[in-house]
Amino acid sequence: MSLVQKRTELSKWYLPAIFQGLGWTFVKMVKNLANKKQMITLNYPEQKHEYSPRFKGNHVLTVKKDGSIRCTACMLCATNCPAECITIKAAEHEDPTVEKFPISYEIDMLRCVFCGFCEEACPVDAIRMGPEWQRPAVNGANFVYDLKELAYRPSLKGGIVSVVDETDRHKAGI
Amino acid sequence: MAEVKYLSEHYHKPEYRGLAGYKANGGYAMLEKALKMQPQQIIDEVKASGLRGRGGAGFPTGMKWGFLPKNGEPRYLLCNADESEPGTFKDRVMMEKAPHQLIEGMIISAYAVGAKKAYIYIRGEYMGPAAILEEAIAEAKKAGYIGKNILGSGVDVELDLYLGAGAYICGEETGLISSLEGFKGQPKLKPPFPAVQGYLKKPTIVNNVETLAAVVNIIRDGGQGYRKYGTEKSAGTKLFSLSGAVQKPGTYEVPLGYKLMDFINNECGGLLPGRKLKGVIPGGSSAPILSAEECMDATLDYENMAAKGSMLGSGAIIVIDDSYCMVDVLSTITHFYHHESCGQCTPCREGTGWVQKIVHGIVHGNGKPGDVDLLLKIADNMKGRTICALSDAAALPVLSFVTKYREEFEYFIKEKKSKVKGTQIYAQLNPSEMGAH
Amino acid sequence: MPESNNTAAPATEPKMLKMTINGKEVEVKEGTSIIEAYSQHGMSIAHYCWHPGLSVAGVCRLCMVEIEGNPRLQIACNTAVTDGMKVNNESEKVKDAVKWGLDFHLINHPLDCPICDQAGECGLQDQYMAYGKYTPEMAEKKVKKHKVVDLGPRVVLDSERCILCSRCVRFTDEVSKTNELGIFNRGDRAEIGTFEGKPLDNNYSLNTVDICPVGALTSKDFRFRQRVWFLKEHNSICTGCSTGCNTRVFYNKEGLFRIKPRYNKDINGYWMTDTGRDAYKFVNKEARLLDARVVSNGRGEWIAPKLAARKAGEALKGAGKSVALVVTGQYMNEEYEALLSYFKNEVGTDRVFHWINNPETFDSFDGLLARGDKNPNTKGLLAEMAKQGFTAQWRELAEGLQTGAIKTVVVAGPENQAVFPDLKAKIMELSKASKLVWLQAGKNDQLEALTGDVTLIPLKTYVEKTGTYVNYAGIAQKVHKGLTVVPNALSLVEVVALMKGEELPADDTYNQVGLGRVHNEFTMVRGTL
Repeated sequence: MSLVQKRTELSKWYLPAIFQGLGWTFVKMVKNLANKKQMITLNYPEQKHEYSPRFKGNHVLTVKKDGSIRCTACMLCATNCPAECITIKAAEHEDPTVEKFPISYEIDMLRCVFCGFCEEACPVDAIRMGPEWQRPAVNGANFVYDLKELAYRPSLKGGIVSVVDETDRHKAGI
Repeated sequence: MAEVKYLSEHYHKPEYRGLAGYKANGGYAMLEKALKMQPQQIIDEVKASGLRGRGGAGFPTGMKWGFLPKNGEPRYLLCNADESEPGTFKDRVMMEKAPHQLIEGMIISAYAVGAKKAYIYIRGEYMGPAAILEEAIAEAKKAGYIGKNILGSGVDVELDLYLGAGAYICGEETGLISSLEGFKGQPKLKPPFPAVQGYLKKPTIVNNVETLAAVVNIIRDGGQGYRKYGTEKSAGTKLFSLSGAVQKPGTYEVPLGYKLMDFINNECGGLLPGRKLKGVIPGGSSAPILSAEECMDATLDYENMAAKGSMLGSGAIIVIDDSYCMVDVLSTITHFYHHESCGQCTPCREGTGWVQKIVHGIVHGNGKPGDVDLLLKIADNMKGRTICALSDAAALPVLSFVTKYREEFEYFIKEKKSKVKGTQIYAQLNPSEMGAH
Repeated sequence: MPESNNTAAPATEPKMLKMTINGKEVEVKEGTSIIEAYSQHGMSIAHYCWHPGLSVAGVCRLCMVEIEGNPRLQIACNTAVTDGMKVNNESEKVKDAVKWGLDFHLINHPLDCPICDQAGECGLQDQYMAYGKYTPEMAEKKVKKHKVVDLGPRVVLDSERCILCSRCVRFTDEVSKTNELGIFNRGDRAEIGTFEGKPLDNNYSLNTVDICPVGALTSKDFRFRQRVWFLKEHNSICTGCSTGCNTRVFYNKEGLFRIKPRYNKDINGYWMTDTGRDAYKFVNKEARLLDARVVSNGRGEWIAPKLAARKAGEALKGAGKSVALVVTGQYMNEEYEALLSYFKNEVGTDRVFHWINNPETFDSFDGLLARGDKNPNTKGLLAEMAKQGFTAQWRELAEGLQTGAIKTVVVAGPENQAVFPDLKAKIMELSKASKLVWLQAGKNDQLEALTGDVTLIPLKTYVEKTGTYVNYAGIAQKVHKGLTVVPNALSLVEVVALMKGEELPADDTYNQVGLGRVHNEFTMVRGTL
């Protein structure tokens, strides 16, 4: 389909339409300056949209009440991961009631497809997908998030406490 | 027929305990007589007498002896004095009143089966009877009734006493053998049966105290003479230990085939005043309970009890009247079996614990609506699934209590209090104290 | 009946009995138990406590079968087959009994599968999938027992997971005859344990971990290192000693993780030694020589092994009796054949010396499996040496080095360096030669530190090549290539071919056997590209 523009006499008078449009912009600007609350644009990246807590964004490793990592290194997330982006190294914990814990937990965010299977596979609510997702980096390796990043990054303010707790489970005799 | 003094003829005489008193009342005469007989003759007499094992299973003793291989392989005779069934205390009476009767019976039996070595395995808690037996064995050894060339007949029989460490499971014959061998008292797989491969992998006969003592009477009166008491299939007399809600509990000797209600009303003086019969456990805690109606026409013999779905067992009759809460009684029984399971077979090890937890839960007011059916299901699956009969012994009371007194269990679960006592039975106790080990 | 006269019929074949298993007619030998009949005919039957290498305990009560004419279910492990017997383990009655048997096993099981190493190869998981899949009815608290109990240097116990099948107790009782383990306490408080001051430290202790049907006994060495479903399996032979136990090695891309025994009734039965299980450690990359090292004029450099082998071959060609070859019994028949015939025919020397691990303990035997001869193929080497007519004595090597008659020494060193206690001394001795060519799989700091004219060539280990080992009894066993750990490494056959100046077939060196999960290494370097 080709667009044929008819050059008529009237079409020479484009300036009024431009001023009409600019005027509208100007009116909005003045209105917004007068009432900043109504303004719908954001000062990205200083300002960001709040996503719903159920949004499947970057992963969060939850922590126990004492702040230690909740994950038991069962590797079900790694097994379930269709993108094979989770790498865990397990070790023996000095506390025999904990027994197994991850000394290294890495997620390659560039491979991750944010399917949420890891969250579903986790038997102890140790991994969740959070609302934040915009994380730039200058280097591919920076997208491999380690344990510290996943559990204790500044935006988590010391870590998210999981709903399952070992001491509660022990008390209940589970 | 009423109470008889056949085995227990001289039990009322205190001197009967010692060797001199025993001999004065005709003791060890039968040993002399038996040693003049051929071993096969003795076995035939025992077979003819129709004597059945008095330990619980009621297996014909003569037949058991006949299972021994006929070659000259060394063999053992063990006396099972590990009387641990709750409610049973007849062997204790026999050992305390007439230790020499047991010893004489054992020497005769050992001679009959060809054993050179015999042991009495007595339960660890029976310190008193053990001391009495020990003394009696020493006396008999001194008098030449035990040892080499007994009474100049050329027969050698050694007899020793072995004190267990107090485990119910060691009353099971292969468990007893394991314990005697120095291992953990755990039943062994059958086959091979002990008569083929038992103590130290040699043919072994294990008999109850009362069975071995009765051999003396069989030698005295002959096989047919022994049958003057009892019924066709349950010959002879039996000591019954009666406990529970009667006026005169204790050990009584009555002929087999005696009416249960007559026994309770005549010998034991009847129920406590103002009480009504609720049920009778006829053969120790492992026997299924008989309800009051079933008791009315019950007779004390192996066939009648089997026909009623219960068993005569070791003759421990426990009378329960209407002041008892059946949930409470079952709770005690399940506690016992949970404590005594040896832990070898899974259905018993886990099942006894599970049942105990559920029944304790009900008693503590934590019962759940499905518990009664669950108890039945668990007990049903514990029954007949293990090496020895302990699992059955734990399952049968559960099955019979829950079927026959179901409304009491359901009331307790629903109302969280006993139908009989009107309270939670253990409410005043700290739950952790109950069933804690 | 005892044999009373010697005119009795000569020993005949055991009588065969006809029986029907699940409607299928089979024949078994007299004296077979039902469970053996099932396993002989490849039919599955649930069981935990029964193990073909141990006595019958009959405690798990899971191998229930229905025998025609018997109202009660019987356990298959303690019931002997009789002629015309009809058994069935597929009826609803049996399935219900097994389901309940399983339920009894599971009521006090902690279900900590997420942190249990057995998950994935656990008997409870398997049977639950086959017979269970029910809603648990146990609402009461579970029995608490000891966790993470240190039983010995290699084994950890978790009593809560234990189902008390007593396999491990029977193993220490009947096979290793060391009796360390016992069951303490009774009822559902029963626990496996060791006696005070008697840890489970025999050389067969890890077999208890293998036969444990649940995760109660775990190997300290393998503990938490991998989930089993990430591992692949390859049939191999243990090269830890001259017994040649049949093994399965478990590996993934990161290397080998563990070794388990494989049944062979002529050699090892169901078992293997703990020392043999360490035979994976020298295979992994951390312990390996990755490239060839050539030291000349005091300067060492790492070069491609193929190039190093070619260069070494040029110097050896026709060098005659100034060349000595030292060989250990750790290589395969095919390699010996190539190597020894090369030295006889192309190099032209008869100075070939057999280096054994430890002359004092060489002939020792622990009565079960472990032998003092820590080489998998001493027999094969001796046969090849006899075939080529090499009879040189060690003394001649020392003399030759002293007098300078031997200038070049080529060593096919030990693959498993740990079993050669005289390795250091030998390196010192042999490095006196003016030129040393050392062929070996593992890395060795002492070798790398040598100055003078030294060439180190990395070799393949037993899982990376195909060939034959001959064990102490003369049984030849073939192993196949399973995986590649060091892509540059060469086998002795390849080294000889390169020394002769031949080309290698192109495909082999980088051929990775399927490794399933491949670690995404690309992202590590992506940012720097």
